[in-house]
Amino acid sequence: MRIDYKLEDKFDLGLFLSFLILFCIGLAAIYSATYNNHAAAGNFNRQLYWGLASLLVFFIVYYLPTTTFSMISVPSYLISILFLIAVLVIGRRIMGHKSWFGFGSFGFQPSEFAKLGTILGLAWYLSKKKVDIETFKDIIITLGIGLLPVGLIFLEPDMGTTFVYLGLILVMLFWKGISLFGLFIVLSPAIVALSSLFGTVYFVIALFLVIVGLFLFRKDLFFSGAILALNLGAGFFTEFVFNALGPHQQKRILTFIDPNSDPLGSGYNAIQAKVAIGSGGLFGKGFLSGNQTQLQFIPEQWTDFIFCVIGEEFGFIGSIIVLILFFYMFLRIIKIASSTKDEFISLTLIGILSVYFFHLAINVGMVIGLIPIIGIPLPFISYGGSSLLVNIFMLGIVANVYRTRKNYT
Amino acid sequence: MRPEGFASIPRKTIVYFIVVACFGLFAFRLVQMQIIDHQAFDEKSASNSIKPLEQVPLRGVFYDRNMEVITGNSPAYTMRITPAEYDKSLSRLLETVIDVDSGFIDKVLYNNRFYSKYLPIRIKRGIDFKAVSWLEENSEHLHGVDFIVEMQRDYPAGIIGSHLFGYEKEISPASLEKEKNYYSPGDYVGNSGIEKTYEKELRGEKGFNYVLVDAKRKETGKFKDGKMDKPSLKGRDLVLSIDADVQRVAEEELKKFRGAAVAIEPKTGEILALVSTPEFDLNQFSYVTTKEYLTGLYTDPDKPLFNRATMSGKPAGSTFKIMAAIAALDMGVINENTIITCGGGFYFGRFFKCHGGPHGPLNVVHAIEKSCNTFFYNLIYRIGLDKWSEYAHRLGFGHKTGIDISEDAPGLVPNSKYYEKIYGPNWPRSIMASLGIGQGEVSATPLQLAQFVALVANNGNSYTPHLVKGYLKENTKEFIPYKFNEIRTGIGQRAFDIVKQGMILVVQGAGTATRLKGDELKIAGKTGTAQNPHGKDHALFICFAPYDDPKIAIAVVVENVGFGATYAAPIAQKMVEAYLLKNKLKKEGLQKNKGSNNQLFGARQ
Repeated sequence: MRIDYKLEDKFDLGLFLSFLILFCIGLAAIYSATYNNHAAAGNFNRQLYWGLASLLVFFIVYYLPTTTFSMISVPSYLISILFLIAVLVIGRRIMGHKSWFGFGSFGFQPSEFAKLGTILGLAWYLSKKKVDIETFKDIIITLGIGLLPVGLIFLEPDMGTTFVYLGLILVMLFWKGISLFGLFIVLSPAIVALSSLFGTVYFVIALFLVIVGLFLFRKDLFFSGAILALNLGAGFFTEFVFNALGPHQQKRILTFIDPNSDPLGSGYNAIQAKVAIGSGGLFGKGFLSGNQTQLQFIPEQWTDFIFCVIGEEFGFIGSIIVLILFFYMFLRIIKIASSTKDEFISLTLIGILSVYFFHLAINVGMVIGLIPIIGIPLPFISYGGSSLLVNIFMLGIVANVYRTRKNYT
Repeated sequence: MRPEGFASIPRKTIVYFIVVACFGLFAFRLVQMQIIDHQAFDEKSASNSIKPLEQVPLRGVFYDRNMEVITGNSPAYTMRITPAEYDKSLSRLLETVIDVDSGFIDKVLYNNRFYSKYLPIRIKRGIDFKAVSWLEENSEHLHGVDFIVEMQRDYPAGIIGSHLFGYEKEISPASLEKEKNYYSPGDYVGNSGIEKTYEKELRGEKGFNYVLVDAKRKETGKFKDGKMDKPSLKGRDLVLSIDADVQRVAEEELKKFRGAAVAIEPKTGEILALVSTPEFDLNQFSYVTTKEYLTGLYTDPDKPLFNRATMSGKPAGSTFKIMAAIAALDMGVINENTIITCGGGFYFGRFFKCHGGPHGPLNVVHAIEKSCNTFFYNLIYRIGLDKWSEYAHRLGFGHKTGIDISEDAPGLVPNSKYYEKIYGPNWPRSIMASLGIGQGEVSATPLQLAQFVALVANNGNSYTPHLVKGYLKENTKEFIPYKFNEIRTGIGQRAFDIVKQGMILVVQGAGTATRLKGDELKIAGKTGTAQNPHGKDHALFICFAPYDDPKIAIAVVVENVGFGATYAAPIAQKMVEAYLLKNKLKKEGLQKNKGSNNQLFGARQ
């Protein structure tokens, strides 16, 4: 029997410290972003309280028996679905999204919590012994588990979160060991569906590419025909869903496809975000001294555009420190995930990694002008209680697995 | 080329690769934006600043109950500096222009150094017109310096109202910290009286116009075509319960004295007049308050800043005999036929003297008429101290009135616990005798006395006394009343009927204030003298009128002059006249031009 005396053996200090530093940078940025904003003056304090609560959550999750997570996987998935349906029916509208529950003055966002439910649900199914990811049936069931919450969130509509879910499903399938052809089956309908929104020409081009792909894989004719039919169906179904949406929701989707269709809205923000970051320079303009931030060129900078505050006031040094901390965190998670032989645990960790990763990639990508503006928070940094609690819960799972990793190798 | 299964090395490598590639791309992009292209973005940022121009809303005005404006606004100029754009070498020149000591501007800027340097800071209010035109002419060279027109208070109806209206003061750093959501440094906020209590209603909502300025800080246009501009919202216009005529008369009559007068409409608790003298000049506060004026106010032995009407507790004197009579009658320890004989005094441990010689056998009505001490020395022992104290509390003494200004003293009504604390369980019971005639430890404010006589006049029911009736709706100018708590003493009608008989005899019979006798006003009242160990006694008078349908209840206290009927009663009489006879005139006037009556009078009940 081995006895561990070293803290590092049981507790991933690097991971925890990365979180702590990121959270503190976030607090400073929230303070600065709300400094001259009268309406949001209480956000700093609220985030501080959420931070303290999240530390508690972290250590509770850290000390749970690791088997807990597989035990709660199915119930948490089902509860997530239930909440997502409920929020569509009775949810409170905030800025055109129907994604909040109101409990007095507290808002609670089920789509945040459903991320964890979906990860656990997918990990549960994929790690079952009799599941063979090479069979068409299991791919379809996996997609079904993953796409059910996506569909519900899409109706809210929350574009950013939808992309995170799609990425999450893809990465978990990949980690489980899906073949290249399987990947093609999964990806092609999504690409066709998306391109159908851009217009008929794009739809036809996408279909043509699918046919080329099918030809290259050289599967039997019947199977290829079925895949093609699936793709066609995806395209027309998207058209159908789009027409069923309200004009407000349609406008949001169109704005997403072409930001210039609303130059005073998200297009304007994209320009101002880039100016804020670029003008920060190497060392930044100093805490509370960024004129882009303090004059509030960008609305609600303490949530989705918080990276601009860091870029403008703390400069390249500040931004790169944030990226390095995230990078370090991600590498740790991949390492822990690949060191365990327990499929459920490994898949869960990779699911968590992909949630973090897509949040970061979309958020930072949009403010530095690499992708269109999609509203999505930056993990651990953006203001918001639901998002922070879920992210810290997931980090707790990672730390927990590190603690008990020797039992699983 | 099929990758291997679950979590295989190639799959792990691909995941690693994607993460590394993404971070690499981001880092490269940041280097490009923040280091290589930094100059271009920086210029864009500098040429693309918005300057928020604060739009200060008009403060709500005060109307009296007859819709006469008694507190209004008039324009004044304020010079401001936006620190981010300001060159400090200008300070010396500006200081001579606006006529302040050298170093003044830098001191103000230094005091405000913690606030956003992009927001303008007020340097001086009320700068004169010559300075304004100089600033205007030289504005090109004065970067970061501007002036705005702000409104300051004026008082068009000739009412001083220093304790009633209260004044505004530059916001203190402590309250600014607490409410930085709304206020900015240099803002004025209500500091006393109605201006303080109703600050949130009166101030309205600030507006902002956003303009774009280039690197040279020149305005280049409106930000987003003015789409983000927020117009300011005017503050609420309050309708006071004050009657300008009654208030004016009371201020005029009390001018020569130190004292206070409060008039209340008994049925509603609406305060018709509230005066405390000596007063001070509110105009001095709405402008730039000079240091000399403030020092003068603080060091004046008469304490003009002190609101005597609501804050100064004094023995209620003989006016408190009414309170004792109500308690005794309601408890049933006496009735209107109970006779107590005055032989010139009362013996309890020592001799307590009555005034004006032996009154002989008296019932309670005549005891009030003659203000016989002997009767009330006896009475408090029949009531018992704690019951007496309880009734006093029910009638509004010994606790704050809840008036809608923050200056509100509780006064004191002792009970047996109070004396036990001081003297132990065997406290000398002889103390009670003085309390019976309203002397000794008992203390009441003029407002409490007015509320008390209003309760008597309206048979034990009224509303919390208040100065503001309601407000005018922003767009329609419709009158919206505020709600106030009802007061129900739960004391039976009979007790009030009997003491009122006594009070009418005080004035209309052979009592202590017969100089106010008259059928037109039908005043019923009670005189009082509060003993003052430090000098001449204080004169008190409480009254209501007309006797059969009370419309006004008044308490007047004049300090250090002696007997109540001589000084306090005539002031009360003038106030009653101003109120009742004016109403009569107004009614006649209204009948003449029926139909032209506006909706405000209709809405006011």
